[in-house]
Amino acid sequence: MSRIQFIEPVTRIEGHAKISIQLDERGQVSLARFHILEFRGFEKICEGRPFQEMPGLMSRTCGICPVSHVLASSKAGDMLLGVEIPIAAEQQRRLLNYAQILQSHALSFFHLSSPDFLMGMDAPPAQRNIFGLLQNESDFVRRGIRLRQFGQRVIELVGGKKVHPGWSGPGGVHHRFTSEQRDEILGWIPEATESLSIALDRWKGLIDSFRPEMDFMGNFPSLFLATVNEHGGLEYYDGLIRIVDGRGNAIAEKLDPKRYFTYLGEASEDYSYVKFPYYQPFGYPQGHYRVGPLARLNVAAYAGTPRADRELKEFKQRGEGAVCESFHFHLARLIEMIHCVERIEELMANPDLYGENIQAHASLNRREGVGSCEAPRGTLFHHYWVDSEGLMERANLLIATSQNNQAMNLSVDQAARRFLKASATGEFEEGMLNRLEAAIRCYDPCLSCSTHALGQMPLMVDVVGADGKLIRRIARDC
Amino acid sequence: MRTLLIALGNSLRGDDGVAHRVLELLGARVEARSVMQLTPELAAEIAGFDTVVFLDAAAGIQTVTMEDVPEPTAAATLTHVSRPAEIVALSTALFGFRGRALECRIPVADFAAGQQLSPLAEHFANEAAQLLGQTI
Repeated sequence: MSRIQFIEPVTRIEGHAKISIQLDERGQVSLARFHILEFRGFEKICEGRPFQEMPGLMSRTCGICPVSHVLASSKAGDMLLGVEIPIAAEQQRRLLNYAQILQSHALSFFHLSSPDFLMGMDAPPAQRNIFGLLQNESDFVRRGIRLRQFGQRVIELVGGKKVHPGWSGPGGVHHRFTSEQRDEILGWIPEATESLSIALDRWKGLIDSFRPEMDFMGNFPSLFLATVNEHGGLEYYDGLIRIVDGRGNAIAEKLDPKRYFTYLGEASEDYSYVKFPYYQPFGYPQGHYRVGPLARLNVAAYAGTPRADRELKEFKQRGEGAVCESFHFHLARLIEMIHCVERIEELMANPDLYGENIQAHASLNRREGVGSCEAPRGTLFHHYWVDSEGLMERANLLIATSQNNQAMNLSVDQAARRFLKASATGEFEEGMLNRLEAAIRCYDPCLSCSTHALGQMPLMVDVVGADGKLIRRIARDC
Repeated sequence: MRTLLIALGNSLRGDDGVAHRVLELLGARVEARSVMQLTPELAAEIAGFDTVVFLDAAAGIQTVTMEDVPEPTAAATLTHVSRPAEIVALSTALFGFRGRALECRIPVADFAAGQQLSPLAEHFANEAAQLLGQTI
């Protein structure tokens, strides 16, 4: 008799989800799926609101990456106004996006995933968390907190507050950047640089001990999608979409993000509230793709800053054209953090950032606007339709986590087939189940964003038999 | 003697924003931070204070309470959502916090969308401000 097991809730992720494991008559895994169970309906909430309010509303979508939503929303608003924003405003938006990616990646790498790396995948779950690291890894944990503090401080300094800042809107930003802000930000750079060097060296020294996890926690060819600049370099704020396959071959170049709906489709499955986006020319599900740190480093030809370029070159040697192991999302996050700190330092010396003109003034000139940017977890699109008064008729949000949905499902399935072996009594060891969760954590999914719910990020596993009856449920508090 | 008040809550969800109202009532007399949720970097920020008070709305209680922050539970993992106990434990272990940490819980009734406090929350916000004024 086959059965299905569910891991519910999945821990150390943002939002609520569960994993189901279907077992066959021999007790072998026949199918594993990642179910996202939240629903918020942010698109519906927007209807009838003035488009100028959207960045403020959209910042509330997520407490982790509010800046990304503010930016995509502001850019959609720029398009509705039909304006090109002043260079000082653009540079300020870039600055906060780097700070956003830095703080989010620091949380993911140091707080959520490093317990697996430093204590081992098989360590008891009560110890395999950030508090378990305090005794032997206090410096590592402290540096992670300080890195996040740096990113959050930049957001607070420039955006007014660190969670849900509303400093940017259609046409530009609300406040000028000051030399006092610069001085405080520059004061953080040496420590941030040192902490990332230490973390990267540490991680490189550990990677080889995770060979099974590398090979079986989301190692498959797929498409990768990300924004690049006009020369094919790493770009987070504004650029063109590039798609490469699992061997690094360009599948599509210089796609206009404002026309995303002409080449990206969204499928639905009855086991998840989250959509399953795909590249339309390849159809569904063959056209599934990955976004986020791993995709950005696979898609970009270069980083454009010295240390990140050195690391990117080395990173690319880990694959044949593209790095296909989702486990390397973690390494990619570290390289991106290095890049963000370099870019933040660069921006401090850029006179454009200090310009007085920070707002383009216009009334409504278009009825449809699209804004996109690279959020920590991948490419983010906001698409708005307004009436003649500028009131929102409709919105479509294409979130990074949803674009990784199919890849997360494939990763869980691959990990379950490789690592889950039931004992004679039908039980699974904790370390086996943790590897399933760790497969999901590679993507650092933000389910609150992607489902458009108040997330606490627990996850459950259910095991169900061939007759469809629930055999066992494993639930952990977050 | 330095005291930091940390007001927690979403001011767009009615009484959930009651802690921010308490800070308004106390005015400039205190060092304070208004936050929507607790985030790990607060562990670094509270380290230099002698006393830290976390103010938050609480449903199901009848009076303002002021209690020491408990030890974190064994299952605490510090994910994207943190609790006062975790912030204090991290600050103690990593940043040398040696002060006293308190939780001030304020009775509330209505978490519906909106920026208005219910009469009950307004009443207990005043009571909490009075209590804190006497304590700090």
